[in-house]
Parts: sequence; C-alpha cells; structure tokens
Amino acid sequence: MGKIVAVHSYKGGTGKTFISTNLAVTLAKLGRKVCLMDLDFRAPSLSTLLNLNNAECWLNDYLNGVCEIDKVLIDQSARIGGQNNFFVGLANPSVEAIRDMSSKDRKWEMRALGRLLSLRNSLLNDKGFDYIFFDTSPGLQYSSINAIVAADLVVVASTLDNSDIEGTKRMLRDLYDLFEKKTEIVLNKVMHNSALTSGRDKLQVMVKDVYGVPLLGVIPCFCDVSRAEGKIIFVHEKPEHPFTRIMGEMAARIDKLQI
Amino acid sequence: MSTSDKELLGKKPLQILEKIKENLEKLNEKMEIMIELQKHGRREFEPLSPEAPLDVMTLLSMPDHLRKTAMTLCRLGRATADEVAKQTHRARAVESAYLNQLVIMGYLKKERKGRKAYFYIDREGQG
Repeated sequence: MGKIVAVHSYKGGTGKTFISTNLAVTLAKLGRKVCLMDLDFRAPSLSTLLNLNNAECWLNDYLNGVCEIDKVLIDQSARIGGQNNFFVGLANPSVEAIRDMSSKDRKWEMRALGRLLSLRNSLLNDKGFDYIFFDTSPGLQYSSINAIVAADLVVVASTLDNSDIEGTKRMLRDLYDLFEKKTEIVLNKVMHNSALTSGRDKLQVMVKDVYGVPLLGVIPCFCDVSRAEGKIIFVHEKPEHPFTRIMGEMAARIDKLQI
Repeated sequence: MSTSDKELLGKKPLQILEKIKENLEKLNEKMEIMIELQKHGRREFEPLSPEAPLDVMTLLSMPDHLRKTAMTLCRLGRATADEVAKQTHRARAVESAYLNQLVIMGYLKKERKGRKAYFYIDREGQG
C-alpha cells in the first residue's frame, strides 16, 4: 500500500517545493513509482521548475470535477532517466486561475477534500503508485489543510528563524495534533556546521523537545542550491552533492516508516 | 392495532422476531444518542442546517471525540458503525452514537440497507 506525503510549512520560502521535488525524484530513483502534485494554488511553482507550460488539464480542473486525474498527470520519468516512475500534476499558474481558486466556498473545499481522498484509490490502489507528494501553500490555507487531512505523513519544513519556529510549534499543536497526523520535521537552511557534523543526536533531542515530533532530516545552507536558481532537478543533475546524499537518507527513512 | 401490526401477525414467527430485533436495534441507537447527549450536554449537538458542509475547518472546530469519527468516515467514504469502530479501536456502540450525532448535526447522511446502516458524506448532493 502506497503513502501520501504532504510537504507543508508555516512560513513561505522554507523550501517546500525544492524538498518535495527532490524527495519525490530520490524515491523514484530508488525504484518507487511516484507522483508529485503542486497544491500551492496561490503561488504555483512546479510548472516553472520543470519548465512545463501546457498541461492538458491542471489539478485545478481535477478539483473542480471537470476532468479525471489521468488527464492531469504528466509523465516526467525520462527527465530523471527513468521509465513510468515519475509523474507530476500541476497547478495552473495563470492569474485568472489563482483568483478563481482563492474565491472558492466551503462546499467546494469539502468536495475538493473528497477528490484528494479519492486519489488513494485511483492512484495508489488502481495505478500502482507507491507515493503521492503534495507540495502545499504555507500556513493555514484551506487547500493545505485539505492536503494534510488526505495525507498519511506530513513533512514540515522549518528554518531556524525564530518566527518560523514559534509558528511551526503552534501549527503542530493546533492543527496536526487535532488531526492525529504522523508528522516529521525537516530543518532547512541550517547555518551552523557544528550542529550538522557532531550534533545530529543533539538536534534530534532539540527538535523532539521544541516541536514534540521526530526529526526527518537537517539540510545545511548550500550555496550550490541557491546557485541552481530553481532551474534544475538537483538530485538528478548533481548525484555526488552532499544535498543529494541527505535527500537519500530522508527518502530511505520515509520508505521505512510504518504508517 | 395498526395495519402493519395486523400484517405481521399473519406472518411466520421468525419474521416477527426479526422485525422485533430490527426495532430494538433502532431503539438502541436512539438510546445511545440520548446517553451521549446526557454525557456531553446539548450545546454541541444542536442540529445545523440540513446541508452543513463537513469541510476541514468544521473538522478542526469539532470536539475531539467527534472529529476522530468524522475523520475516519472521511477516509472510508461510506461505512457502517462497525467498520468505523475497527479503525478507531473504540466500541461499535460508541461509534454508532457519534455517527448518529453527526447525522443529527447535518454533516453525515445515513442509509439503511437491510439490517445494516451505512453512513456517508453527501459531497455531491450539496450546493
């Protein structure tokens, strides 16, 4: 049985899209069949990262109930040197579509949750996908909470920025706890190297202490990542890079998790 | 004596017993609701509009014990109290009471098929 993983954060710019894309690709390279979905309808970015502008159908259409999910998924396996193992679903980046998605009412959101929940049947059970990754909007958005409710595991990206830490703590307590979601933290853009080299155990304790949930991984601030300017699939283009190794460790841990 | 009672008398004893059992089950469900209402007070069970959407914000604002049931039904789509109880590891009678409360609150729909009662979220029928 496959897993649905939602990647979320309290603040924007914590690296959700970068982390979800690279985790999804890493798992695909490990032999899993993976689908990556951009559920950030307010600021779609996967279409830009993968340079895909003409989808037959967008995830917006799927949630609106005007097309089925097969029409939305785009096979990107060849991009990562694979076959039938990496698919993406895109959010429509046009301003009109963003405006349309931000004016939905509660009944629409309820139906959208139903459509997200039914992906478990249509993709995991029927199409044999091992993973669905939801890349979400930051903070408490309807679309993000829908994604969290539909997911088996929530990966929360946080920096060590104080407002990020405090907001993430509140979100864990007031949102994830209420939904009884299995949650793990990724600390991203970590500056101090000593914490990385000698103190993973210490960080693990700190994260457990501060957030009350396990640490999935720590990503240092890599200039190479900034230099890539969000134009490449990092783990595919730079297989020897330390970032790629860290993604490998996180992917292996997610793969082993019993949910 | 009502017409339906007269009809029943003409049938075999087994059918009569089945009818009694069915009625007792319905009565039992109603009693479970009454017990729950006593336990938690009426405030949280006031019936809403018949088309209250069970969206995530509603789930968030629910009392914990009902949220667990509602979340499980969200995942299962359509289920009996027994099937929900298997997921939540709570007693069937407890889940039956919570599911019926959610029906009263307007969040769920209930449908009987033979002896079984199925609960579901009427996503398409709303709006």
